[in-house]
Amino acid sequence: MDVTADAEGGFDLSRVIDIGKSIYSLVILLVLWEVVGQLGLIHYYFLPPLSAIIARFIELTLNGEMLYNAYLTLYRALVGLAIASVLGVIVGVLSARNDLVDWFFDPIIKIGYPIPIISLIPVFMLWFGIGDISKIIMVAVGTFWPVAINARDSTRQVQTNLIWSAQMMGTSDRRLLWRVVMPAALPGILTGFQIAMPLSLIITFVFEMVAGGGGLGALEIAGVRSFQSEQVYAAIIAIMFIGIGLDRLLRFTRSRLLHWT
Amino acid sequence: MWVRQGDQLMDGRVTISELEKVYGEGAERTKAIENLSFEVEGGEFVSVVGPSGCGKSTLLYLIAGFLDITSGTIAVDDEPIDGPGTDRGVVFQDYALFPWRTVFENVTYGLEEDGVPKEERQSIAQKYIDLVDLDGFEDKYPKELSGGMKQRVGIARTLAYEPKILLMDEPFGALDQPLREALQDQLRDIWADVGKTIVFITHDVEEAVYLSERVLIMTRHPGTKKTVTEVDLDRSGTREEIVTSDEFADYKNTVWKSLHEETQTEVKL
Repeated sequence: MDVTADAEGGFDLSRVIDIGKSIYSLVILLVLWEVVGQLGLIHYYFLPPLSAIIARFIELTLNGEMLYNAYLTLYRALVGLAIASVLGVIVGVLSARNDLVDWFFDPIIKIGYPIPIISLIPVFMLWFGIGDISKIIMVAVGTFWPVAINARDSTRQVQTNLIWSAQMMGTSDRRLLWRVVMPAALPGILTGFQIAMPLSLIITFVFEMVAGGGGLGALEIAGVRSFQSEQVYAAIIAIMFIGIGLDRLLRFTRSRLLHWT
Repeated sequence: MWVRQGDQLMDGRVTISELEKVYGEGAERTKAIENLSFEVEGGEFVSVVGPSGCGKSTLLYLIAGFLDITSGTIAVDDEPIDGPGTDRGVVFQDYALFPWRTVFENVTYGLEEDGVPKEERQSIAQKYIDLVDLDGFEDKYPKELSGGMKQRVGIARTLAYEPKILLMDEPFGALDQPLREALQDQLRDIWADVGKTIVFITHDVEEAVYLSERVLIMTRHPGTKKTVTEVDLDRSGTREEIVTSDEFADYKNTVWKSLHEETQTEVKL
């Protein structure tokens, strides 16, 4: 991508055309969607025309409902993810550096990681209810694994030579973690966050669909139950944009932090 | 050009006595080094050559304090070593630079750890960056450098915190011939300049003879001292004059024969 054109704020027509070319198959599908809907080839309830969905999306945005539900979903997903990120990095890095910690957590990680976490939603409802806390804990538990595993593996893979280099230049064992191990493991740790982020949205969304209490998942399910399929698709579009936006944000952060790779 | 002054009794003497290193346990147990005694004088340039698997890198990392000694001792100026220390600096074959730090930051690392004030750090780092001809590359990251440049950063960062002893593990092994030769000459110049003890691991006989005052030849399985060759070369001329001289050829033959016997024994086994 041409970054310089961006920086200068100039309008670059060829760039617009490039982007157009890169998504033209998507544009065709969207046009097809609208045509199929307008011609009534598929029943309105199953697939309303794109324009009807966009109209509903705008309506929900203007009356504040969309923003409020998006806020609830984002809040639950990001708080849960933040908790998992802190705990996951601590457990992962310590597991890689300390045999006792590894001895304790390795079996837990082996069992915990493959569990399809949303199968536990009913259990969480039983234990913690259906409110924010329950959802946040579920997200934290579900996203802990990829964060911890990536932090552990990337810490283990830090080259011995780098650690030796630091030691010969006078770095004490206690400072080694911050001076060498963490920066060297950072690419892998960030990969863990990138895997955990969409997972946090999935868990939140599904929990909201099952348990209600607001949020985009609840908005979507409410659309189905009240035969307003435009609302179903509007909620999907919202969560899609959130997913893409967060992914972009993480990629941007990654490229900033890892400009040396 | 790089003739040293006759300075005696320099710091940085390495005394190795009855050194033994065993890896693994039980059936996995392998003896890497056995009954090795050797002394490197302060300020001396010693090369260690031997067939691959003779434990020469192990020896270097034992001196560095990275590996635990099984039995025997290694002492620096009569003080037995206990783990890594800033009196010794290693130059690794694969450079082992910190990729998240610029050239400048790599060179200042040891000074930061030593608590040297910022301004002083900068002037010292600049001095060594200039010494290895890397001025203008201070703000580059290792990924932006060629192998030869990375190794010069490796040398500069190790010189910058001023260890008494440089331990070099086939530092030019991954570089092509012209670059190797250029860096060899640069290293000799630096050695003559800064006055350090250098223990230089290589499998290249010519490199060993060209660079060092003594060559330690090791046997393999387990590694120990086979012979030590004194290289008393007149090094006042150019590389071409030195390398084409008869005495250089003689030294090379002596070392080569000794090394070759060792390789032959291995093949017969």
